Amino acid sequence: MPRHERARRQPAGSDGLRARGLRFLGQQRRVVARLVLWSVLETAQTFLMGYALARALDEGFLRGRTGVGLGWLGVAALAVAVGAYGTGRVYRAVAALVEPLRDRLVERVVARGVRQAEGGALSALTQQVEIARDTFAGVVMVSRSFVFTAAGALIGLASLAPPLLLVVVPPLVVGVGLFAASMRPLAHRQEAFLVADERLADRFGDVCTGLRDVTAGGAEEQVAADVGERVEAELRAARSLARWGIPRVASIAVGGQLPIVLLLLTAPWLLRSGVTPGALVGALAYVTQSLLPALQNLVHGMGTSGSRLAVVLRRLVPAGPAAVDGTGPDPRPDHTPERAPALTVSGLTFAYGPTCAPVVEGLTLSLPQGTRLAVVGPSGIGKSTLVSLTAGLLDPRHGTISLCGHPVPGDTAHAHRVVIPQEAYVFSGTFAENLGCLRPDPVPESELLAAAEAVGLAPLLARHGGPGGRVDPAALSAGERQLIALTRAWLSYACVALLDEATCHLDPEAEERAERAFASRAGTTLVVVAHRIASARRADRVLVMDGRQCAYGTHDELLERSSLYRDLVGSWSAAPSGPSQPALALRDTDGVDAVAGAGLAGDGRHVVAHGSVGEVQAAGYLRDGRPLRGE
Amino acid sequence: MTTTTHGRPAPTQNPASPLRESVRRTGARCAVLFLVATVSTGLSLALPLTLGRALDMLLTHPDGTGAMRWVLWCAGIVLLLAVLDAVETVLGGTTSAHATAWLRHRLTGHLLAVGPRAGERFGSGELVARLVGNAAQAGTAPASLAALLAALAGPVGAVVALGLLDPWLAAVFLAGAPLLALLLRTFTQDSSRCVADYQEAQGRIAGGLSEAIGGSRTIAACGTADREVARVLRPLPELTRAGHRMWHVQGRAAARAVALAPLLQLGVVAVAGVLLVRGRLTVGEMLAASRYAVLAAGVGVLVGQLSGLVRARASARRLGEVLAEPVTPYGSRRLPPGQGRLELRGVTARRGGRTLLDGVDLVVPGGSTLAVVGRSGAGKSLLAALAGRLADPDDGTVLLDGVPLPELDHDELRRAIGYAFERPALLGDTVADTIGFGVRAAPPDRIRAGAAAARADTFVRRLPDGYATPCRDAPLSGGERQRLGLARVLARDSRLLVLDDALSSLDTVTEHQVVDALLNHSPGGTRVIVAHRVSTAARADSVAWLDGGRVGAVGTHARLWRERGYREVFADGEG
Repeated sequence: MPRHERARRQPAGSDGLRARGLRFLGQQRRVVARLVLWSVLETAQTFLMGYALARALDEGFLRGRTGVGLGWLGVAALAVAVGAYGTGRVYRAVAALVEPLRDRLVERVVARGVRQAEGGALSALTQQVEIARDTFAGVVMVSRSFVFTAAGALIGLASLAPPLLLVVVPPLVVGVGLFAASMRPLAHRQEAFLVADERLADRFGDVCTGLRDVTAGGAEEQVAADVGERVEAELRAARSLARWGIPRVASIAVGGQLPIVLLLLTAPWLLRSGVTPGALVGALAYVTQSLLPALQNLVHGMGTSGSRLAVVLRRLVPAGPAAVDGTGPDPRPDHTPERAPALTVSGLTFAYGPTCAPVVEGLTLSLPQGTRLAVVGPSGIGKSTLVSLTAGLLDPRHGTISLCGHPVPGDTAHAHRVVIPQEAYVFSGTFAENLGCLRPDPVPESELLAAAEAVGLAPLLARHGGPGGRVDPAALSAGERQLIALTRAWLSYACVALLDEATCHLDPEAEERAERAFASRAGTTLVVVAHRIASARRADRVLVMDGRQCAYGTHDELLERSSLYRDLVGSWSAAPSGPSQPALALRDTDGVDAVAGAGLAGDGRHVVAHGSVGEVQAAGYLRDGRPLRGE
Repeated sequence: MTTTTHGRPAPTQNPASPLRESVRRTGARCAVLFLVATVSTGLSLALPLTLGRALDMLLTHPDGTGAMRWVLWCAGIVLLLAVLDAVETVLGGTTSAHATAWLRHRLTGHLLAVGPRAGERFGSGELVARLVGNAAQAGTAPASLAALLAALAGPVGAVVALGLLDPWLAAVFLAGAPLLALLLRTFTQDSSRCVADYQEAQGRIAGGLSEAIGGSRTIAACGTADREVARVLRPLPELTRAGHRMWHVQGRAAARAVALAPLLQLGVVAVAGVLLVRGRLTVGEMLAASRYAVLAAGVGVLVGQLSGLVRARASARRLGEVLAEPVTPYGSRRLPPGQGRLELRGVTARRGGRTLLDGVDLVVPGGSTLAVVGRSGAGKSLLAALAGRLADPDDGTVLLDGVPLPELDHDELRRAIGYAFERPALLGDTVADTIGFGVRAAPPDRIRAGAAAARADTFVRRLPDGYATPCRDAPLSGGERQRLGLARVLARDSRLLVLDDALSSLDTVTEHQVVDALLNHSPGGTRVIVAHRVSTAARADSVAWLDGGRVGAVGTHARLWRERGYREVFADGEG
């Protein structure tokens, strides 16, 4: 599901974001207390800026006592310095609030990325988390600043002359109320704009990478119209957002500027009721220099940062508990029923969705322990799906699977098998870490070396300085990575090894050696999704997958029974055996032995050529790195 | 060569500066904005003095009508300022939005009119960055320009006003102001190091995460997700430390910055106080001076505005570079009846100073199939691009049924020639859309038939919503994408089919079936197939062997197979 859809359907603040935010602040009580403490210094500064000015006038300059006036101003200057120190400390307190949030978000994004293989996790990590960090800090800063500045100013007004409060407070309350009321619709507009912007950026991405396809298809007009529609949609959202600037301006005018006019209008009354000229000037200073800027920052800061924060948090932390799985490496499987087949499949049916065509339908087979099974068939026919089902990574719609007598999925079955997919996983770390990560405890070095020797990793291991050497995944070839993954699997305690094209980047000799290593490993049953005909020929049993029908038997039986198998074998082995014999004979079943023939690549020995497998479109993300309009 | 642009995104001929053009496009708005901003600045400069005068009058004659008049003036100015502010906010936002939208329309139209050349020249990622980021930035230019004079007049006017009140006031301010610039500079110097540390730690986490995402199947199968998460998160404490340091530095800088403006202001007030005692200023004028000091300190905002404008100009220049790329012109001729005879006459094509194709002469008879083979880098893909006018040769002519390609009408050309690629872009919202994508969308039954012929039907029907599955939500392998691309050409009838390595990710059985479909498709049509596999070349009527920018030989596969060099082409084609 496109994530912006989800974001759009949920109105701001209605998904427990506020509750979760409050819970977070509750957990950070001590930091919040620190933040309040340092913010009080700013309150003091605000207070003194107006109060000292009033005193400087009343007791100093207006009485001709320059020294007293300058003294009061000096006090104010001191307050500024102290307040500035407070500001510095406030940043640290904000850091203590923001960094834990960022840490949590990073943890969640990484956990989700690793568990669900979300390509979008990367942009979430580098961009959305940073947006959340910045906007959260911004929201904390402006809202805190408003509260403490307003407090300082109001205390100041009260101590200069309480009637001043009567003039200043009502419009301020109305202004803030007006802003609060406009927050939600404004946040909606802001969010609508972000979504439109993101959709537009996605479409630009599609078009720019597909210019060649657009030209080739002659579809310039349609594409221009389609992009144009999104540009217009974004424009509409931007205009609507701009119009919602009016309530913002209005709330500033009422809350911050109206008090100035009111102070002047009521001045005769105020002066009569004992307010000094200095106090009047001080009150004007409070309004113009403290309240108005603080209100402006609040309105602008909350209006943009607040809604961006809400959008981004809702994407990063979708409601609902995080999935927990992965109990760590399996222990040594303790109990294996003696005579149970290594793999039993009965009546297995699977489809990816309720309305989709099934990938596997009614499959039944049994594989004795210690044997080798090769699975063959055209690409995309469902061989990997079958491996995933066998491994318990997918749940069948109908039918049952058991590994060594243990039902799949299940913890005991889990411990009995190891899966090596085509895309070998190698991480930055040492060889020992990479090879031993399927074992609960550290693997002795001698065992590591023996495994490397058996599978064929020894030369690579020696080149990198043994088990302690560092692995840089990017510097390894695909074949070298596969060797590491194979050795790791060989070292695991599992007795059924599922090789899903796990040797496709190895040359035929290396492949044979690796397969032999598993076959000669004590009590090991091998299931190989075959990449070359040789794998099928080495196997005791072959499963040919062809849409819903499958054929199961030995190599020779299948040559008799399955025309697809004959096709596959033919095409695998139809290398031109001499200069004068072009490879035309796809259906030739006689040339089985020509595999090692001319030794030419491209001779059809590869069942599956490896293009960019698993190119999954990254989900859309909130783009940043440029200012949003209206900021 | 004639240029027709009937209804197609019309490229403008003169590559004028996009900045100037976007200002002209939003001219009326900009004029109003300029007026509003200027009046608004004038009023905010008048306000402190009016306020001061009102205060003075109130203090001397609290109940006089004179005082009331000044108070009403103040009220009027404040009200007007609020109204103008609202107008400016809305107008500023919409002007930028309009300018941005206009730039994007213009740029998209131009890119589409240029075609694949634009992608090669700039890179698709860069183009997206320009369409998204630079267009948005350049779009702010008209509004910022319109408000620039006003933004400049604010601080300058405030300093002048200080000077008019008393020269000493301006002097105090001007003496203190340079500190501001100095302090802002130290901030940028300090922060860059911990920002780098932060990004480095973040990069390490991202690196680990990307490795783990690549190995997700292994991790899921082994149930070691927790361990992997812990490993990826190992640099997190460093990230946290660097993050805290960033806030510390920022806090120090902010502390200095927040202190500066109030201290400047207090300095001005102190001088004003002294002048008040000496009778050279009134209380109201002192209040005005303190306000002017704040306004004048707004010079920092001006710096930000100016640098924004500079960035917008740089962005506009980058857009201008794209717009300067000439568009691809089309003719108006139609094709005579024919079977798609393709002819290359003395075709030369250079890329980046290298001649990739050098005087290639080649005729593909109508209705026949030609395989193009050659070592990687031999110019096969370029030849395929030239054959259907995805690019124009630097020299020579390409003709289809006797008509030079550039003379053909756009729709006629694109309907006549179908393309399939090694990595097709999946355009359109759903899988069905991406198969039907073209001059005119293919009808649903043809889409199904095309998918079936390309052996894509089976896996498409297994997708969650079948043909209606959004492409974004469909996890497709390279081979599956390729089959969708093949379905696209097999869903329509073309006189000439060009397959640029479009079978490379298929397994051999599927490839055989798809080639069958291609050979039986649109009987009478011509096919050009760039191939890496012997089996494909063997099934073509003839093979063109490219070597060193020239056609080394044309002949049947059986005949060419006798040549050692020809056989070696296949030896290093595929690993």
